[in-house]
Amino acid sequence: MTPVAWRWLVALLIVLLLLPLVIPAFFVLLLIEIAILALFATAFNLLMGFGGMVSFGHAAYFALGAYTAALLVKKAGVAMLLALAAAPLVAAAGALFFGVFIVRLTATYFAMLSLACGQIVFTIIFKWTSLTGGDNGLLNVWPPPLLKAPAAYYYFTLAVVGLSILALHAIVQSPFGYALKAVRENPRRARFIGVNVRRHQLIAFVLSGFFSGLAGGLFAFFNGSVFPDFAYFNKSFEPLVVVLLGGMQSFFGPLAGALGFKVLETFIARQWPIYWPLFLGIVVIAVVVLLPRGFVGLLEARTWRIGPARRK
Amino acid sequence: MADRARTPQVVLQTRKLKKHFGGVQAVCGVDLSVPDGDLRAVIGPNGAGKTTLFNLITRDIPHDSGQIHFQGEEISALSPHAVCRRGIGRTFQITSIFRRLTTLENVQTALLTHHRRHYNLFAPASRLYRDAALALLERVGLSEQALKPSGVLAHGDQRRLELAIALAGDPRLLMLDEPTAGMAPRERHEIMELVARIGADTGLTIVFTEHDMDVVFAVAAHITVLHQGWVIAEGRPQEVRANQEVQRIYLGQQVARSR
Repeated sequence: MTPVAWRWLVALLIVLLLLPLVIPAFFVLLLIEIAILALFATAFNLLMGFGGMVSFGHAAYFALGAYTAALLVKKAGVAMLLALAAAPLVAAAGALFFGVFIVRLTATYFAMLSLACGQIVFTIIFKWTSLTGGDNGLLNVWPPPLLKAPAAYYYFTLAVVGLSILALHAIVQSPFGYALKAVRENPRRARFIGVNVRRHQLIAFVLSGFFSGLAGGLFAFFNGSVFPDFAYFNKSFEPLVVVLLGGMQSFFGPLAGALGFKVLETFIARQWPIYWPLFLGIVVIAVVVLLPRGFVGLLEARTWRIGPARRK
Repeated sequence: MADRARTPQVVLQTRKLKKHFGGVQAVCGVDLSVPDGDLRAVIGPNGAGKTTLFNLITRDIPHDSGQIHFQGEEISALSPHAVCRRGIGRTFQITSIFRRLTTLENVQTALLTHHRRHYNLFAPASRLYRDAALALLERVGLSEQALKPSGVLAHGDQRRLELAIALAGDPRLLMLDEPTAGMAPRERHEIMELVARIGADTGLTIVFTEHDMDVVFAVAAHITVLHQGWVIAEGRPQEVRANQEVQRIYLGQQVARSR
């Protein structure tokens, strides 16, 4: 990153740290949700934006994380931090299990099989009532008193999400990330520089599942309860929409997308819940047509236009 | 020693290699033997099976029967990335690069992978093998273009980039499928002279296909002529030029064209 970008990042961090002191609890809770969604979408975009793989079943790994955390706390009496640490591991294991089959396919078939695997996870959660509570979900999954206040859980979430996003950023810039982009651009050429394409895609899938599971675990303690529809395919389209809104070409696109999505949802869906899908559909169409690079495209397009003009 | 000089080690050998697509026998039992350090042209009219032969040797597509030996080892069952790891680099007839990566990143990625760093999740890749990548770009004449997205380069420059990507794998055998496709005649000669120079400097064995006979006869050390999936002639350029079968096929094609 450039020094300017670092300065903006530090400024953003200071603002994020000070915000809970001045805004009402309602907005603190909203910020927590935005942060968790941002992590989920950034993990999803490791696959879509950087690996060229569109998953339609990513809610499965979010839900595996959420249920792992909830079950460990509720049924095994494990401490919250340990349960949260287990969430991404179980989700990654799930991603490995399904990913082995999914990455054998490409494009539409990849998307369809990922959707099918997601629905398998949903069905297991839904039907295994003795363990998961089925449709009733699992209630009273709260963090320890120390983290229960909105501001406290906000800072905790901010730290976990911040570190995870730094890790994902490092992965994108790493040799693994370069080879992943090469696979996205041209799998055949990637093979002939020596990349084992399927294995590379599988590792990306597992990493994406890992961070999606962590987002799910964070959400379980935020929400205080977990439900089967965390794994339902509606939930799988959430990171897809967020990434489309924010811009999948950019690493930070999903962050902007999560912010935009949640703000819109808060102000539109709560006022006119029936019209929310209609409104969201219009927004998505508008962004895809007018801003193919998403919200972050706005910033990039401006600097790009100013640049050459100045040179003249 | 004298004995070895007369019969240099064979780098690539195929035996009775066959491939058909539906009812078309594209490659009909090709025996090819390429000695170490050779600069071999594979020529033939359109549909002769040149590209298919390349794709079979690099394991891009599976063959029906026959064997492929590289440096004395059978590679007929390996996957493409494993073949690449053994030391066969290649370029494609239709330019195949990583278009949304910069020119430099294209070569860096190939170097990172070649040095087996591509599973490293945390090192910042932009600093790794940068100098080596720049040196390769300099070698193919692309230093100025290093930081541009490779997709915006001129066609000829993209072909040069693909050559640099293939060289980044430090191959023992380089398979170039029409490296000058779509180029102007002058650029064709430039590129093939570059290829010949790289071969001479590094002792790399190179197999290439080419439509421009001027270029072929100017640089190739040996020529293999394919026709309808069969090898019909093989030898030094002057031997191949004198071959009546070859003359008939190329003359026949010209007659067909003028009609």
